Amino acid sequence: MPELDPERVGAELDRLLSQQRLSRRRFLGRGAAAALAAGGLGAVLSACGIDGTAARNLAQLQREADRIHHPSVELGDWTFANWPLYIDKRVIRAFDARYGGHCRYVEEINDNNDFYGKVRQQLQQGVPIGRDIVVLTDYMAARWVRFGYVTPVDRRNVPNLDNLAPNLRSVAYDPRRQFAIPYQSGAIGLGYDITQTGGELKSVRDFFDPRWKGRVTMLADPYDCATTVLLGDGVDASRASLDQVLGAIERVSEANDAGQFRRFTGNDYTTDLTKGNVALAMAYSGDLVQLQSDNPNLRFSYPEEGAMLFTDNMLMPAKVEHPYAAETMMNYLYEPEVAAVVCAWVNYISPVEGIRPLLERSDPDIASNELIFPPDDVRRKLYTYPSFSTRQEQEMNEAMAKVTGA
Amino acid sequence: MGLTLSQRRRLVPWMFAIPGLLWLILFFAIPLANQAQVSLLSGDPEAGYTLTWAFDTYTHAIADYKEQFLRSFLYAGAATAIDLVIAFPLAYFMAYKAGRWRNLMLLLVVLPFFMSYVLRTVAWQLILADNGWVVERLRDVGLVSEGGRVLATGPAVVAGIAYNFLPFMVLPLYVALERIDRRFVEAATDLYASHATAFRKVTLPLAIPGIFAGSLLVFIPACGDFINAALLGTSRQYMIGNVVQSKFLNVLDYPTAAALSFILMTVILIGIVIYSRLLGTRNLTEAAT
Repeated sequence: MPELDPERVGAELDRLLSQQRLSRRRFLGRGAAAALAAGGLGAVLSACGIDGTAARNLAQLQREADRIHHPSVELGDWTFANWPLYIDKRVIRAFDARYGGHCRYVEEINDNNDFYGKVRQQLQQGVPIGRDIVVLTDYMAARWVRFGYVTPVDRRNVPNLDNLAPNLRSVAYDPRRQFAIPYQSGAIGLGYDITQTGGELKSVRDFFDPRWKGRVTMLADPYDCATTVLLGDGVDASRASLDQVLGAIERVSEANDAGQFRRFTGNDYTTDLTKGNVALAMAYSGDLVQLQSDNPNLRFSYPEEGAMLFTDNMLMPAKVEHPYAAETMMNYLYEPEVAAVVCAWVNYISPVEGIRPLLERSDPDIASNELIFPPDDVRRKLYTYPSFSTRQEQEMNEAMAKVTGA
Repeated sequence: MGLTLSQRRRLVPWMFAIPGLLWLILFFAIPLANQAQVSLLSGDPEAGYTLTWAFDTYTHAIADYKEQFLRSFLYAGAATAIDLVIAFPLAYFMAYKAGRWRNLMLLLVVLPFFMSYVLRTVAWQLILADNGWVVERLRDVGLVSEGGRVLATGPAVVAGIAYNFLPFMVLPLYVALERIDRRFVEAATDLYASHATAFRKVTLPLAIPGIFAGSLLVFIPACGDFINAALLGTSRQYMIGNVVQSKFLNVLDYPTAAALSFILMTVILIGIVIYSRLLGTRNLTEAAT
């Protein structure tokens, strides 16, 4: 076989695609065929096996990102897929009013893994998934970037990205923020009912304290749980190796066998916490802000050893159909005035700089809330998720699944 | 064309079956074949999965998850038994004694279906909370030990399953009982059978198709259920459905997930054959017509 120059092949492909734009559009018009293919039937009829996903590497994607150009067009009908209760809907209406078009805002992402399972086959087959922005947590966003399931953001259409908080301007899986634009962040820490614990808790050690035996819930996701345990041991969890994470899972497993934990949970720890079934939960900061308004006895503390900081990111999926609309929305959400409205409503940590003075005028309670604006000494001890390869991630998830019983 | 009238007549029933058959092929047979094939792949999500006829996935799956399999059958069996005990008197009452309340009672039985399955189960989380009214009362009467709990235990999961699937038991039982010709029972009592004997010798055998259908409708989906174990139980109560979900969505080990599903299906099929022999329901279809 003759040697292929990847650069030339790429350029050639681009040329072909632009020539065939008409036929591609016609292909998309045949929605039924696409849906059928996406429904997995195509997979049965055409191929044996499930394709690997490490199709493109970061460097390749970044080269693509440097060349990307999304011209200004009418926004049209486009789709924003987000988590439930994750925006003040007035923001969407105001956006439509200002920029025209219609943003179909769907609250369909309840769980990173479930959502990935839903769109995986379309992504693998290179079919549009019908969403122009999806909001995914760091580790899942990293997976999409790793697999090349993303369309680069044309940063010229998102000038407000200059307002991005400095600590988020680079992450391991997207060093120049060309694919994943932070939406909101939150910290993982101790959520507890102070009437049950009889005092403040502020260490990762408290999760393992025999005083709370059987009255603790842990997060089931190893990215949340094992990393927090590592911070407790003084390990920089952002740079943790797989072995270190597996060691932490082992410790969780031993404590679990001794009956320390009542359950492993997702977001549903909130029921156990508010109903008093547990004294202490490994919890997300933003949840506690909202729960506190119903039950002032509930507390959240950042572990003194440091806390994991997760970020939910806006991504444009591969084969995105309305990139300009998506970028216009990203830009809009990075206007401090808009970001302040979102922050006041969702109560997570905003990635947009300069909103605190605005909130001091409009919502002083929120501006002074440490869970939404962590103080500097806490901020210095916030750690992002470590990055793993797909295989390592599978090994980690498998080890954790053994502990959580599934 | 050249079809005789009788040939066309014979074709007509098949024509009627076509929509159903197409549906079955498209949404059952093809996915099933697909999953059978997936279960024989090997590899990992990064390199992709290729067909290697890896039958050892099945043996490993059984070895690793026999505990969850056994628990699934145990919980599903217990829930089916509980439902039968609750549903039989209820269906009996509705069929024979309810009079003008019958339709209202039928409505009440299916009413929970108007609400989402997950929400109904979450509601039980709130009802059975450790410091809630229900558990406090159970502690008062000594059914739950001091400091004990109901939520996050095996009985909570079984109760959740029994609650969620109860209508599937009530409805077939009701239909079976309702169609029994009461004159058979009258004849039995006329021939000096006591009410108990008439029930045992006449009503119960004629209700067997309903018992059979109800048990299957409860047992089969209950075996694969994962909602109740996830919401009302802990990792120590996880059933095979939880493992399949985790394998598919979290671990991305599609072959093992598919193999687990096939093992579950096979075991259930074998179980049903044995069960139908035990109940003597070879003439089920006749009894039901």
